[in-house]
Amino acid sequence: MLPSRSRLSVAVFLIPPLLLYGAAVLLPIVQSLALSFFTWDGISDMRFAGFSNYTFMFTDGDFWTAVTNQLGYLVVCLVLQLGGGLLVASLLMSLTKGRELVKVLYLLPAVISTVAIALLFQRIYSLDPAGPLNRFLGLVGLESLERPWLSDVHTVLAAVSAPEGWRFVGLYTVIIYAALLTVPRELEEAARLDGANQWQVFTRIRFPYIGPVWLTTSVMAFTYAMRGFDIPYLLTNGGPGQSSELVTTYMYKTAFLSTDYGYASAMSVFIVVESLVAVGLILFVLRRKAV
Amino acid sequence: MSLLTSARPAAGPTRDGRGPAPSRPAPRRPDVYRVLSRVLIAVLVVVQVYPLLWLFLSSVRTEQDFASASPFSLPNSFTLDNFARAFDHADLGRYILNSLIVTLGADALIVVCGLMGAYALQVLGFRFSNVVRGLFLLGIVVPVQIALVPLFIDYAKVGLLDTYPSMMIPLAGFGLPMSLYLFSSFFGYIPRETYEAASLDGAGPYRIFARITLPLSVNTIVTVVMVNSIFIWNDFVFANTFVLSEGLKTIPVGLQNYIGAMGKTDWTATFAGVCVTVTPLLLVFLVLNKAMIYGLESGATKG
Repeated sequence: MLPSRSRLSVAVFLIPPLLLYGAAVLLPIVQSLALSFFTWDGISDMRFAGFSNYTFMFTDGDFWTAVTNQLGYLVVCLVLQLGGGLLVASLLMSLTKGRELVKVLYLLPAVISTVAIALLFQRIYSLDPAGPLNRFLGLVGLESLERPWLSDVHTVLAAVSAPEGWRFVGLYTVIIYAALLTVPRELEEAARLDGANQWQVFTRIRFPYIGPVWLTTSVMAFTYAMRGFDIPYLLTNGGPGQSSELVTTYMYKTAFLSTDYGYASAMSVFIVVESLVAVGLILFVLRRKAV
Repeated sequence: MSLLTSARPAAGPTRDGRGPAPSRPAPRRPDVYRVLSRVLIAVLVVVQVYPLLWLFLSSVRTEQDFASASPFSLPNSFTLDNFARAFDHADLGRYILNSLIVTLGADALIVVCGLMGAYALQVLGFRFSNVVRGLFLLGIVVPVQIALVPLFIDYAKVGLLDTYPSMMIPLAGFGLPMSLYLFSSFFGYIPRETYEAASLDGAGPYRIFARITLPLSVNTIVTVVMVNSIFIWNDFVFANTFVLSEGLKTIPVGLQNYIGAMGKTDWTATFAGVCVTVTPLLLVFLVLNKAMIYGLESGATKG
Protein backbone atom coordinates (compact mmCIF):
# COMPACT_ATOMS: atom_id res chain seq x y z
CA MET A 1 0.00 0.00 0.00
CA LEU A 2 1.34 3.37 -1.01
CA PRO A 3 2.29 5.43 2.09
CA SER A 4 0.83 8.67 0.80
CA ARG A 5 -2.42 7.36 -0.65
CA SER A 6 -5.76 8.70 0.43
CA ARG A 7 -9.30 7.43 0.25
CA LEU A 8 -10.00 10.04 -2.39
CA SER A 9 -7.14 8.90 -4.61
CA VAL A 10 -8.35 5.30 -4.47
CA ALA A 11 -11.79 6.46 -5.55
CA VAL A 12 -10.38 8.60 -8.36
CA PHE A 13 -8.52 5.66 -9.83
CA LEU A 14 -11.20 3.06 -9.21
CA ILE A 15 -14.35 4.82 -10.34
CA PRO A 16 -13.72 5.11 -14.11
CA PRO A 17 -12.96 1.39 -14.59
CA LEU A 18 -15.89 0.40 -12.38
CA LEU A 19 -18.24 2.67 -14.32
CA LEU A 20 -17.19 1.19 -17.66
CA TYR A 21 -17.29 -2.36 -16.37
CA GLY A 22 -20.55 -1.80 -14.55
CA ALA A 23 -22.27 -0.34 -17.60
CA ALA A 24 -21.03 -2.99 -20.00
CA VAL A 25 -20.95 -6.16 -17.92
CA LEU A 26 -22.45 -5.99 -14.42
CA LEU A 27 -25.62 -4.06 -15.20
CA PRO A 28 -26.55 -6.30 -18.16
CA ILE A 29 -26.14 -9.40 -15.99
CA VAL A 30 -28.52 -7.96 -13.39
CA GLN A 31 -30.92 -6.81 -16.10
CA SER A 32 -30.93 -10.23 -17.73
CA LEU A 33 -31.87 -11.76 -14.44
CA ALA A 34 -34.72 -9.27 -13.98
CA LEU A 35 -35.97 -9.55 -17.57
CA SER A 36 -36.06 -13.32 -17.36
CA PHE A 37 -39.09 -13.02 -15.04
CA PHE A 38 -41.06 -10.96 -17.53
CA THR A 39 -42.77 -11.44 -20.86
CA TRP A 40 -41.84 -8.64 -23.19
CA ASP A 41 -41.62 -8.11 -26.92
CA GLY A 42 -39.99 -4.71 -26.62
CA ILE A 43 -43.10 -2.82 -27.74
CA SER A 44 -46.13 -3.65 -25.60
CA ASP A 45 -46.11 -3.47 -21.80
CA MET A 46 -43.89 -5.77 -19.80
CA ARG A 47 -45.83 -8.47 -17.99
CA PHE A 48 -44.54 -10.21 -14.90
CA ALA A 49 -44.36 -13.89 -15.69
CA GLY A 50 -42.78 -15.45 -12.63
CA PHE A 51 -40.86 -18.57 -13.49
CA SER A 52 -42.85 -19.31 -16.63
CA ASN A 53 -39.90 -18.51 -18.93
CA TYR A 54 -37.85 -21.02 -17.02
CA THR A 55 -40.51 -23.71 -16.94
CA PHE A 56 -40.96 -23.21 -20.67
CA MET A 57 -37.21 -23.45 -21.19
CA PHE A 58 -36.99 -26.78 -19.42
CA THR A 59 -39.74 -28.26 -21.56
CA ASP A 60 -38.66 -26.62 -24.83
CA GLY A 61 -37.38 -29.34 -27.14
CA ASP A 62 -35.54 -26.83 -29.33
CA PHE A 63 -33.67 -25.54 -26.32
CA TRP A 64 -32.52 -29.02 -25.36
CA THR A 65 -31.46 -29.73 -28.94
CA ALA A 66 -29.37 -26.57 -28.69
CA VAL A 67 -27.88 -27.70 -25.38
CA THR A 68 -26.99 -31.11 -26.82
CA ASN A 69 -25.46 -29.47 -29.89
CA GLN A 70 -23.48 -27.14 -27.68
CA LEU A 71 -22.02 -30.18 -25.95
CA GLY A 72 -21.00 -31.64 -29.30
CA TYR A 73 -19.54 -28.30 -30.31
CA LEU A 74 -17.65 -28.24 -27.02
CA VAL A 75 -16.21 -31.71 -27.54
CA VAL A 76 -14.96 -30.97 -31.05
CA CYS A 77 -13.45 -27.65 -29.99
CA LEU A 78 -11.78 -29.04 -26.89
CA VAL A 79 -10.32 -32.06 -28.67
CA LEU A 80 -8.93 -29.88 -31.46
CA GLN A 81 -7.72 -27.05 -29.27
CA LEU A 82 -6.38 -28.87 -26.23
CA GLY A 83 -5.38 -32.09 -27.95
CA GLY A 84 -3.95 -30.24 -30.92
CA GLY A 85 -2.31 -27.64 -28.68
CA LEU A 86 -0.67 -30.25 -26.50
CA LEU A 87 0.52 -32.27 -29.50
CA VAL A 88 2.04 -29.31 -31.30
CA ALA A 89 3.55 -27.83 -28.13
CA SER A 90 5.23 -31.16 -27.36
CA LEU A 91 6.49 -31.45 -30.90
CA LEU A 92 7.85 -27.92 -30.70
CA MET A 93 10.00 -28.95 -27.73
CA SER A 94 12.03 -31.21 -29.99
CA LEU A 95 12.54 -28.48 -32.53
CA THR A 96 15.82 -26.59 -32.19
CA LYS A 97 15.32 -23.94 -34.86
CA GLY A 98 12.32 -22.04 -36.10
CA ARG A 99 10.12 -22.41 -33.03
CA GLU A 100 9.17 -18.77 -33.11
CA LEU A 101 8.22 -18.98 -36.76
CA VAL A 102 6.07 -22.06 -36.18
CA LYS A 103 4.34 -20.36 -33.25
CA VAL A 104 3.53 -17.33 -35.38
CA LEU A 105 2.25 -19.48 -38.26
CA TYR A 106 0.00 -21.38 -35.89
CA LEU A 107 -1.40 -18.18 -34.46
CA LEU A 108 -2.24 -16.70 -37.86
CA PRO A 109 -5.83 -18.00 -38.00
CA ALA A 110 -6.56 -16.42 -34.62
CA VAL A 111 -5.99 -13.02 -36.19
CA ILE A 112 -8.58 -13.52 -38.94
CA SER A 113 -12.14 -12.37 -38.32
CA THR A 114 -14.85 -14.98 -37.87
CA VAL A 115 -16.69 -13.60 -40.87
CA ALA A 116 -13.68 -14.24 -43.10
CA ILE A 117 -13.26 -17.69 -41.56
CA ALA A 118 -16.92 -18.53 -42.08
CA LEU A 119 -16.68 -17.47 -45.70
CA LEU A 120 -13.49 -19.43 -46.19
CA PHE A 121 -14.91 -22.62 -44.74
CA GLN A 122 -18.17 -22.25 -46.57
CA ARG A 123 -16.10 -22.49 -49.72
CA ILE A 124 -13.81 -25.23 -48.38
CA TYR A 125 -16.78 -27.45 -47.49
CA SER A 126 -18.66 -26.80 -50.69
CA LEU A 127 -19.59 -29.78 -52.89
CA ASP A 128 -20.83 -28.05 -56.00
CA PRO A 129 -18.50 -26.58 -57.13
CA ALA A 130 -16.17 -28.90 -55.24
CA GLY A 131 -14.19 -27.07 -52.58
CA PRO A 132 -10.73 -28.04 -51.33
CA LEU A 133 -12.01 -30.59 -48.79
CA ASN A 134 -14.05 -32.62 -51.26
CA ARG A 135 -11.34 -32.28 -53.90
CA PHE A 136 -8.80 -33.59 -51.42
CA LEU A 137 -10.98 -36.58 -50.54
CA GLY A 138 -11.27 -37.31 -54.24
CA LEU A 139 -7.52 -37.07 -54.70
CA VAL A 140 -6.73 -39.59 -51.96
CA GLY A 141 -9.38 -42.02 -53.14
CA LEU A 142 -12.05 -41.36 -50.52
CA GLU A 143 -14.72 -40.23 -52.99
CA SER A 144 -17.32 -42.04 -50.92
CA LEU A 145 -16.84 -39.44 -48.18
CA GLU A 146 -17.48 -36.47 -50.44
CA ARG A 147 -20.60 -34.65 -49.35
CA PRO A 148 -22.07 -31.18 -48.82
CA TRP A 149 -20.71 -30.92 -45.30
CA LEU A 150 -22.84 -27.97 -44.26
CA SER A 151 -26.19 -29.22 -45.50
CA ASP A 152 -25.83 -32.82 -44.35
CA VAL A 153 -27.51 -33.05 -40.94
CA HIS A 154 -25.05 -35.72 -39.84
CA THR A 155 -21.92 -33.68 -40.50
CA VAL A 156 -23.03 -30.09 -40.05
CA LEU A 157 -22.37 -29.85 -36.32
CA ALA A 158 -18.82 -31.15 -36.69
CA ALA A 159 -18.37 -28.92 -39.73
CA VAL A 160 -19.29 -25.74 -37.87
CA SER A 161 -17.26 -26.74 -34.81
CA ALA A 162 -14.03 -27.55 -36.63
CA PRO A 163 -13.27 -23.98 -37.81
CA GLU A 164 -13.54 -22.69 -34.24
CA GLY A 165 -11.17 -25.41 -33.08
CA TRP A 166 -8.82 -24.83 -35.99
CA ARG A 167 -8.77 -21.13 -35.34
CA PHE A 168 -7.49 -21.32 -31.78
CA VAL A 169 -5.15 -24.31 -31.90
CA GLY A 170 -2.27 -21.83 -32.06
CA LEU A 171 -3.44 -19.96 -28.99
CA TYR A 172 -3.41 -23.07 -26.83
CA THR A 173 -0.20 -24.30 -28.42
CA VAL A 174 1.53 -21.10 -27.38
CA ILE A 175 0.22 -21.29 -23.82
CA ILE A 176 1.00 -24.97 -23.31
CA TYR A 177 4.40 -24.53 -24.90
CA ALA A 178 5.22 -21.71 -22.48
CA ALA A 179 4.31 -24.05 -19.64
CA LEU A 180 6.37 -26.92 -21.04
CA LEU A 181 9.43 -24.64 -21.12
CA THR A 182 9.22 -24.32 -17.34
CA VAL A 183 9.66 -28.05 -16.76
CA PRO A 184 13.09 -28.39 -15.12
CA ARG A 185 15.63 -30.00 -17.45
CA GLU A 186 17.18 -31.91 -14.55
CA LEU A 187 13.97 -33.87 -13.99
CA GLU A 188 13.84 -34.93 -17.62
CA GLU A 189 17.57 -35.75 -17.70
CA ALA A 190 17.28 -37.85 -14.57
CA ALA A 191 14.34 -39.75 -16.02
CA ARG A 192 16.23 -40.33 -19.25
CA LEU A 193 19.25 -41.63 -17.35
CA ASP A 194 16.91 -44.07 -15.64
CA GLY A 195 16.02 -45.32 -19.10
CA ALA A 196 12.73 -43.54 -19.69
CA ASN A 197 11.75 -43.15 -23.31
CA GLN A 198 10.24 -40.08 -24.92
CA TRP A 199 6.69 -41.19 -24.16
CA GLN A 200 7.45 -41.93 -20.53
CA VAL A 201 9.20 -38.60 -20.09
CA PHE A 202 6.08 -36.97 -21.41
CA THR A 203 3.50 -38.88 -19.39
CA ARG A 204 5.43 -39.13 -16.12
CA ILE A 205 7.35 -35.83 -15.99
CA ARG A 206 6.23 -33.15 -18.40
CA PHE A 207 2.50 -33.56 -18.31
CA PRO A 208 2.15 -33.85 -14.52
CA TYR A 209 4.45 -30.84 -14.15
CA ILE A 210 2.31 -28.60 -16.33
CA GLY A 211 -0.87 -29.92 -14.68
CA PRO A 212 -1.99 -26.58 -13.20
CA VAL A 213 -1.55 -24.69 -16.48
CA TRP A 214 -3.27 -27.52 -18.31
CA LEU A 215 -6.29 -27.19 -16.07
CA THR A 216 -6.43 -23.41 -16.42
CA THR A 217 -6.13 -23.82 -20.18
CA SER A 218 -8.90 -26.41 -20.17
CA VAL A 219 -11.23 -24.14 -18.27
CA MET A 220 -10.35 -21.28 -20.59
CA ALA A 221 -11.02 -23.38 -23.69
CA PHE A 222 -14.21 -24.61 -22.08
CA THR A 223 -15.60 -21.17 -21.33
CA TYR A 224 -14.59 -19.87 -24.77
CA ALA A 225 -16.30 -22.78 -26.49
CA MET A 226 -19.40 -22.19 -24.35
CA ARG A 227 -19.72 -18.74 -25.87
CA GLY A 228 -19.23 -20.00 -29.43
CA PHE A 229 -21.57 -18.07 -31.68
CA ASP A 230 -20.13 -16.32 -34.70
CA ILE A 231 -19.09 -19.22 -36.89
CA PRO A 232 -22.23 -21.39 -36.52
CA TYR A 233 -24.40 -18.30 -36.86
CA LEU A 234 -22.62 -17.17 -40.01
CA LEU A 235 -22.05 -20.56 -41.61
CA THR A 236 -25.46 -22.16 -41.20
CA ASN A 237 -27.52 -19.93 -38.90
CA GLY A 238 -28.23 -23.04 -36.84
CA GLY A 239 -29.52 -25.06 -39.75
CA PRO A 240 -30.36 -27.17 -41.59
CA GLY A 241 -33.36 -27.45 -39.30
CA GLN A 242 -31.91 -27.29 -35.81
CA SER A 243 -28.93 -29.51 -36.46
CA SER A 244 -26.27 -26.90 -35.72
CA GLU A 245 -28.22 -24.66 -33.34
CA LEU A 246 -26.29 -23.67 -30.21
CA VAL A 247 -27.74 -22.16 -27.05
CA THR A 248 -26.18 -18.85 -28.03
CA THR A 249 -27.59 -18.80 -31.57
CA TYR A 250 -30.99 -19.91 -30.29
CA MET A 251 -30.93 -17.14 -27.71
CA TYR A 252 -29.95 -14.59 -30.35
CA LYS A 253 -32.77 -15.60 -32.65
CA THR A 254 -35.26 -15.64 -29.78
CA ALA A 255 -34.25 -12.12 -28.83
CA PHE A 256 -33.81 -10.41 -32.16
CA LEU A 257 -35.97 -12.38 -34.59
CA SER A 258 -38.85 -13.49 -32.35
CA THR A 259 -38.30 -10.45 -30.06
CA ASP A 260 -39.11 -12.53 -27.01
CA TYR A 261 -36.78 -10.69 -24.64
CA GLY A 262 -37.99 -12.48 -21.54
CA TYR A 263 -37.32 -15.98 -22.80
CA ALA A 264 -34.01 -14.90 -24.35
CA SER A 265 -33.00 -13.48 -20.97
CA ALA A 266 -33.87 -16.72 -19.23
CA MET A 267 -31.49 -18.44 -21.63
CA SER A 268 -28.86 -15.77 -20.88
CA VAL A 269 -29.22 -16.58 -17.21
CA PHE A 270 -28.77 -20.26 -18.06
CA ILE A 271 -25.55 -19.38 -19.89
CA VAL A 272 -24.32 -17.25 -16.97
CA VAL A 273 -25.02 -20.08 -14.52
CA GLU A 274 -23.05 -22.44 -16.74
CA SER A 275 -20.21 -19.93 -16.74
CA LEU A 276 -20.34 -19.56 -12.98
CA VAL A 277 -19.92 -23.29 -12.70
CA ALA A 278 -16.77 -22.76 -14.76
CA VAL A 279 -15.63 -20.01 -12.36
CA GLY A 280 -16.13 -22.49 -9.56
CA LEU A 281 -13.89 -24.85 -11.44
CA ILE A 282 -11.22 -22.16 -11.88
CA LEU A 283 -11.26 -21.32 -8.17
CA PHE A 284 -11.15 -25.00 -7.30
CA VAL A 285 -8.19 -25.46 -9.62
CA LEU A 286 -6.33 -22.43 -8.31
CA ARG A 287 -6.84 -23.54 -4.75
CA ARG A 288 -5.45 -26.94 -5.55
CA LYS A 289 -2.51 -25.29 -7.25
CA ALA A 290 -1.74 -23.23 -4.17
CA VAL A 291 -1.65 -26.25 -1.87
CA MET B 1 11.70 -6.38 -30.55
CA SER B 2 14.08 -5.23 -27.85
CA LEU B 3 11.56 -2.53 -27.15
CA LEU B 4 9.19 -5.18 -25.94
CA THR B 5 11.56 -7.29 -23.94
CA SER B 6 13.79 -4.71 -22.25
CA ALA B 7 11.69 -3.71 -19.27
CA ARG B 8 9.82 -6.90 -18.74
CA PRO B 9 10.82 -7.90 -15.26
CA ALA B 10 10.96 -11.50 -14.22
CA ALA B 11 9.41 -12.66 -17.44
CA GLY B 12 12.79 -14.11 -18.15
CA PRO B 13 14.11 -15.47 -21.37
CA THR B 14 12.14 -18.69 -21.24
CA ARG B 15 8.86 -16.82 -21.54
CA ASP B 16 9.82 -15.70 -24.99
CA GLY B 17 10.75 -19.20 -25.96
CA ARG B 18 14.23 -17.95 -26.73
CA GLY B 19 15.59 -19.31 -23.51
CA PRO B 20 18.59 -21.54 -23.17
CA ALA B 21 18.35 -24.15 -25.87
CA PRO B 22 17.70 -27.56 -24.35
CA SER B 23 21.14 -28.94 -23.65
CA ARG B 24 20.42 -32.51 -24.53
CA PRO B 25 23.24 -34.97 -24.84
CA ALA B 26 24.15 -35.67 -28.46
CA PRO B 27 21.71 -38.20 -29.89
CA ARG B 28 23.08 -41.69 -29.74
CA ARG B 29 21.23 -42.90 -32.79
CA PRO B 30 19.54 -41.21 -35.73
CA ASP B 31 16.67 -39.82 -33.77
CA VAL B 32 13.46 -41.25 -35.21
CA TYR B 33 11.33 -39.09 -32.96
CA ARG B 34 13.03 -35.99 -34.14
CA VAL B 35 12.49 -36.70 -37.83
CA LEU B 36 8.96 -37.86 -37.21
CA SER B 37 8.05 -34.85 -35.13
CA ARG B 38 9.47 -32.50 -37.75
CA VAL B 39 7.37 -34.09 -40.47
CA LEU B 40 4.31 -33.87 -38.24
CA ILE B 41 4.97 -30.22 -37.44
CA ALA B 42 5.29 -29.47 -41.14
CA VAL B 43 2.02 -31.25 -41.92
CA LEU B 44 0.22 -29.38 -39.17
CA VAL B 45 1.66 -26.05 -40.31
CA VAL B 46 0.23 -26.78 -43.74
CA VAL B 47 -3.19 -27.51 -42.21
CA GLN B 48 -3.06 -24.26 -40.26
CA VAL B 49 -1.76 -22.03 -43.00
CA TYR B 50 -3.08 -23.59 -46.19
CA PRO B 51 -6.64 -22.22 -45.98
CA LEU B 52 -5.26 -18.71 -45.60
CA LEU B 53 -2.80 -19.18 -48.42
CA TRP B 54 -5.62 -20.49 -50.57
CA LEU B 55 -7.62 -17.39 -49.74
CA PHE B 56 -4.80 -15.10 -50.85
CA LEU B 57 -4.00 -17.10 -53.97
CA SER B 58 -7.65 -17.20 -55.00
CA SER B 59 -7.90 -13.45 -54.75
CA VAL B 60 -5.38 -12.95 -57.56
CA ARG B 61 -6.80 -15.61 -59.89
CA THR B 62 -9.05 -14.89 -62.79
CA GLU B 63 -12.56 -16.21 -62.37
CA GLN B 64 -12.12 -18.82 -65.10
CA ASP B 65 -8.91 -20.10 -63.54
CA PHE B 66 -10.56 -20.24 -60.10
CA ALA B 67 -13.52 -22.18 -61.44
CA SER B 68 -11.60 -24.65 -63.56
CA ALA B 69 -8.21 -25.32 -61.94
CA SER B 70 -7.68 -27.58 -58.96
CA PRO B 71 -7.73 -25.59 -55.73
CA PHE B 72 -4.34 -27.08 -54.88
CA SER B 73 -2.53 -25.86 -57.94
CA LEU B 74 -0.76 -22.54 -58.13
CA PRO B 75 -2.67 -19.86 -60.01
CA ASN B 76 -2.20 -20.01 -63.76
CA SER B 77 -3.12 -16.40 -64.02
CA PHE B 78 -2.45 -13.26 -62.07
CA THR B 79 -4.88 -10.39 -61.91
CA LEU B 80 -5.74 -7.50 -59.67
CA ASP B 81 -9.18 -7.03 -61.25
CA ASN B 82 -10.77 -8.82 -58.31
CA PHE B 83 -9.56 -6.08 -56.00
CA ALA B 84 -10.93 -3.41 -58.27
CA ARG B 85 -14.31 -5.15 -58.35
CA ALA B 86 -14.25 -5.60 -54.58
CA PHE B 87 -13.67 -1.87 -54.06
CA ASP B 88 -16.34 -1.05 -56.62
CA HIS B 89 -19.03 -3.10 -55.00
CA ALA B 90 -18.28 -2.50 -51.34
CA ASP B 91 -17.33 0.53 -49.38
CA LEU B 92 -14.20 -1.17 -48.02
CA GLY B 93 -12.46 2.08 -47.16
CA ARG B 94 -15.33 3.17 -44.97
CA TYR B 95 -15.49 -0.21 -43.21
CA ILE B 96 -11.77 -0.07 -42.47
CA LEU B 97 -12.06 3.49 -41.16
CA ASN B 98 -14.97 2.49 -38.89
CA SER B 99 -13.10 -0.53 -37.58
CA LEU B 100 -10.11 1.68 -36.90
CA ILE B 101 -12.22 4.21 -34.97
CA VAL B 102 -13.91 1.51 -32.89
CA THR B 103 -10.66 -0.34 -32.22
CA LEU B 104 -8.74 2.78 -31.20
CA GLY B 105 -11.60 4.05 -29.06
CA ALA B 106 -12.12 0.77 -27.24
CA ASP B 107 -8.36 0.27 -26.84
CA ALA B 108 -8.03 3.73 -25.33
CA LEU B 109 -10.81 2.99 -22.86
CA ILE B 110 -9.26 -0.35 -21.97
CA VAL B 111 -5.78 1.07 -21.46
CA VAL B 112 -6.87 4.10 -19.40
CA CYS B 113 -9.35 2.18 -17.25
CA GLY B 114 -7.10 -0.86 -17.00
CA LEU B 115 -4.12 1.18 -15.82
CA MET B 116 -6.21 3.11 -13.32
CA GLY B 117 -7.99 0.08 -11.95
CA ALA B 118 -4.83 -1.96 -11.64
CA TYR B 119 -3.12 0.98 -9.92
CA ALA B 120 -5.94 1.25 -7.40
CA LEU B 121 -6.04 -2.50 -6.79
CA GLN B 122 -2.37 -3.37 -6.86
CA VAL B 123 -0.48 -0.25 -5.79
CA LEU B 124 -2.86 1.81 -3.67
CA GLY B 125 -4.78 -1.08 -2.17
CA PHE B 126 -7.95 -0.80 -0.10
CA ARG B 127 -10.04 -2.85 2.24
CA PHE B 128 -12.40 -4.53 -0.21
CA SER B 129 -9.93 -4.90 -3.05
CA ASN B 130 -10.48 -8.66 -3.15
CA VAL B 131 -14.20 -8.21 -3.67
CA VAL B 132 -13.54 -5.84 -6.57
CA ARG B 133 -11.02 -8.26 -8.04
CA GLY B 134 -13.62 -11.01 -7.82
CA LEU B 135 -16.15 -8.84 -9.65
CA PHE B 136 -13.70 -8.30 -12.47
CA LEU B 137 -12.89 -12.02 -12.61
CA LEU B 138 -16.56 -12.60 -13.41
CA GLY B 139 -16.13 -10.65 -16.64
CA ILE B 140 -13.45 -13.01 -17.89
CA VAL B 141 -15.81 -15.94 -17.66
CA VAL B 142 -19.23 -14.56 -18.52
CA PRO B 143 -19.96 -14.83 -22.26
CA VAL B 144 -20.51 -11.57 -24.12
CA GLN B 145 -23.90 -12.70 -25.48
CA ILE B 146 -25.63 -12.11 -22.15
CA ALA B 147 -25.12 -8.37 -22.61
CA LEU B 148 -26.87 -8.20 -25.97
CA VAL B 149 -30.51 -7.95 -24.95
CA PRO B 150 -30.06 -5.63 -21.94
CA LEU B 151 -27.66 -3.35 -23.77
CA PHE B 152 -29.92 -3.21 -26.80
CA ILE B 153 -32.80 -2.09 -24.57
CA ASP B 154 -30.61 0.39 -22.63
CA TYR B 155 -29.11 1.85 -25.79
CA ALA B 156 -32.55 2.30 -27.29
CA LYS B 157 -33.58 4.24 -24.18
CA VAL B 158 -30.60 6.59 -24.07
CA GLY B 159 -30.23 6.95 -27.82
CA LEU B 160 -26.92 5.14 -28.15
CA LEU B 161 -28.11 2.59 -30.71
CA ASP B 162 -26.33 2.96 -34.01
CA THR B 163 -23.36 4.95 -32.71
CA TYR B 164 -19.64 4.21 -32.33
CA PRO B 165 -19.88 4.14 -28.50
CA SER B 166 -22.51 1.39 -28.71
CA MET B 167 -19.74 -0.88 -29.96
CA MET B 168 -16.86 0.58 -27.96
CA ILE B 169 -18.48 0.35 -24.53
CA PRO B 170 -19.21 -3.40 -24.45
CA LEU B 171 -15.99 -4.27 -26.28
CA ALA B 172 -13.97 -2.26 -23.76
CA GLY B 173 -16.02 -3.52 -20.82
CA PHE B 174 -15.49 -7.16 -21.69
CA GLY B 175 -11.83 -6.59 -22.57
CA LEU B 176 -11.15 -4.76 -19.32
CA PRO B 177 -10.91 -7.70 -16.85
CA MET B 178 -8.09 -9.51 -18.64
CA SER B 179 -6.23 -6.25 -19.26
CA LEU B 180 -6.60 -5.17 -15.68
CA TYR B 181 -5.21 -8.52 -14.71
CA LEU B 182 -2.20 -8.13 -17.02
CA PHE B 183 -1.49 -4.62 -15.68
CA SER B 184 -1.87 -5.83 -12.08
CA SER B 185 0.60 -8.62 -12.51
CA PHE B 186 3.04 -6.24 -14.17
CA PHE B 187 2.67 -3.68 -11.35
CA GLY B 188 3.46 -6.48 -8.93
CA TYR B 189 7.01 -6.49 -10.31
CA ILE B 190 7.70 -2.82 -9.62
CA PRO B 191 9.70 -2.82 -6.37
CA ARG B 192 8.03 -1.34 -3.30
CA GLU B 193 11.17 0.69 -2.58
CA THR B 194 10.67 2.73 -5.74
CA TYR B 195 7.34 3.95 -4.43
CA GLU B 196 8.58 4.47 -0.90
CA ALA B 197 11.49 6.57 -2.11
CA ALA B 198 9.15 8.67 -4.24
CA SER B 199 6.80 9.11 -1.29
CA LEU B 200 9.63 10.30 0.92
CA ASP B 201 10.46 12.85 -1.73
CA GLY B 202 6.92 14.14 -1.33
CA ALA B 203 5.24 12.59 -4.38
CA GLY B 204 1.56 11.84 -3.96
CA PRO B 205 -0.40 8.99 -5.58
CA TYR B 206 -1.14 11.01 -8.74
CA ARG B 207 2.43 12.09 -9.28
CA ILE B 208 3.70 8.55 -8.67
CA PHE B 209 1.22 7.23 -11.20
CA ALA B 210 2.23 9.77 -13.82
CA ARG B 211 5.96 9.72 -13.22
CA ILE B 212 6.73 6.12 -12.26
CA THR B 213 3.98 3.63 -13.00
CA LEU B 214 2.85 4.98 -16.35
CA PRO B 215 6.27 5.33 -17.98
CA LEU B 216 7.30 1.86 -16.82
CA SER B 217 4.13 0.32 -18.28
CA VAL B 218 4.74 1.12 -21.94
CA ASN B 219 5.57 -2.45 -22.91
CA THR B 220 2.58 -3.87 -21.09
CA ILE B 221 0.40 -1.28 -22.81
CA VAL B 222 1.64 -2.51 -26.19
CA THR B 223 0.80 -6.08 -25.18
CA VAL B 224 -2.65 -5.16 -23.91
CA VAL B 225 -3.44 -3.15 -27.04
CA MET B 226 -2.28 -5.98 -29.29
CA VAL B 227 -4.28 -8.71 -27.60
CA ASN B 228 -7.42 -6.60 -27.39
CA SER B 229 -7.17 -5.17 -30.90
CA ILE B 230 -7.43 -8.62 -32.38
CA PHE B 231 -10.71 -9.28 -30.64
CA ILE B 232 -12.09 -5.79 -31.17
CA TRP B 233 -11.12 -5.53 -34.83
CA ASN B 234 -12.80 -8.86 -35.49
CA ASP B 235 -15.88 -8.31 -33.37
CA PHE B 236 -18.99 -9.37 -35.19
CA VAL B 237 -21.67 -9.79 -32.57
CA PHE B 238 -21.81 -6.29 -31.04
CA ALA B 239 -21.41 -4.53 -34.36
CA ASN B 240 -24.07 -6.71 -35.92
CA THR B 241 -26.54 -6.15 -33.09
CA PHE B 242 -26.12 -2.47 -32.29
CA VAL B 243 -25.33 -0.91 -35.65
CA LEU B 244 -27.78 -0.70 -38.50
CA SER B 245 -26.74 2.17 -40.71
CA GLU B 246 -24.39 1.52 -43.60
CA GLY B 247 -22.15 4.44 -42.64
CA LEU B 248 -21.15 2.93 -39.29
CA LYS B 249 -20.54 -0.66 -40.34
CA THR B 250 -17.22 -2.16 -39.36
CA ILE B 251 -15.28 -4.65 -41.43
CA PRO B 252 -16.87 -7.90 -40.19
CA VAL B 253 -20.44 -6.65 -40.63
CA GLY B 254 -19.68 -4.90 -43.89
CA LEU B 255 -18.02 -8.02 -45.19
CA GLN B 256 -20.98 -10.12 -44.16
CA ASN B 257 -23.40 -7.89 -46.06
CA TYR B 258 -21.13 -7.82 -49.04
CA ILE B 259 -21.01 -11.62 -49.10
CA GLY B 260 -24.76 -11.77 -48.78
CA ALA B 261 -25.09 -9.44 -51.73
CA MET B 262 -22.70 -11.00 -54.19
CA GLY B 263 -20.49 -13.63 -52.57
CA LYS B 264 -22.26 -16.63 -53.98
CA THR B 265 -21.51 -15.58 -57.51
CA ASP B 266 -18.30 -13.59 -57.49
CA TRP B 267 -15.97 -15.63 -55.33
CA THR B 268 -12.68 -14.15 -56.46
CA ALA B 269 -13.82 -10.58 -55.78
CA THR B 270 -15.17 -11.70 -52.42
CA PHE B 271 -11.82 -13.23 -51.55
CA ALA B 272 -10.08 -10.07 -52.67
CA GLY B 273 -12.33 -8.08 -50.37
CA VAL B 274 -11.57 -10.43 -47.49
CA CYS B 275 -7.85 -10.10 -48.16
CA VAL B 276 -8.05 -6.32 -48.08
CA THR B 277 -9.80 -6.42 -44.72
CA VAL B 278 -7.63 -9.01 -42.97
CA THR B 279 -4.30 -7.63 -44.18
CA PRO B 280 -3.91 -4.60 -41.84
CA LEU B 281 -4.26 -6.65 -38.68
CA LEU B 282 -2.19 -9.47 -40.12
CA LEU B 283 0.68 -7.06 -40.82
CA VAL B 284 0.51 -5.54 -37.35
CA PHE B 285 0.45 -9.04 -35.89
CA LEU B 286 3.48 -10.14 -37.89
CA VAL B 287 5.43 -7.09 -36.69
CA LEU B 288 4.29 -7.19 -33.07
CA ASN B 289 3.56 -10.88 -32.55
CA LYS B 290 5.88 -11.07 -29.52
CA ALA B 291 3.70 -8.59 -27.66
CA MET B 292 0.65 -10.66 -28.41
CA ILE B 293 2.21 -14.02 -27.66
CA TYR B 294 3.53 -12.66 -24.38
CA GLY B 295 0.10 -11.39 -23.40
CA LEU B 296 -1.60 -14.65 -24.24
CA GLU B 297 0.96 -16.70 -22.36
CA SER B 298 0.95 -14.62 -19.23
CA GLY B 299 -2.81 -14.32 -19.30
CA ALA B 300 -3.19 -18.03 -18.87
CA THR B 301 -0.05 -19.27 -17.18
CA LYS B 302 0.16 -16.79 -14.36
CA GLY B 303 -3.42 -17.54 -13.34
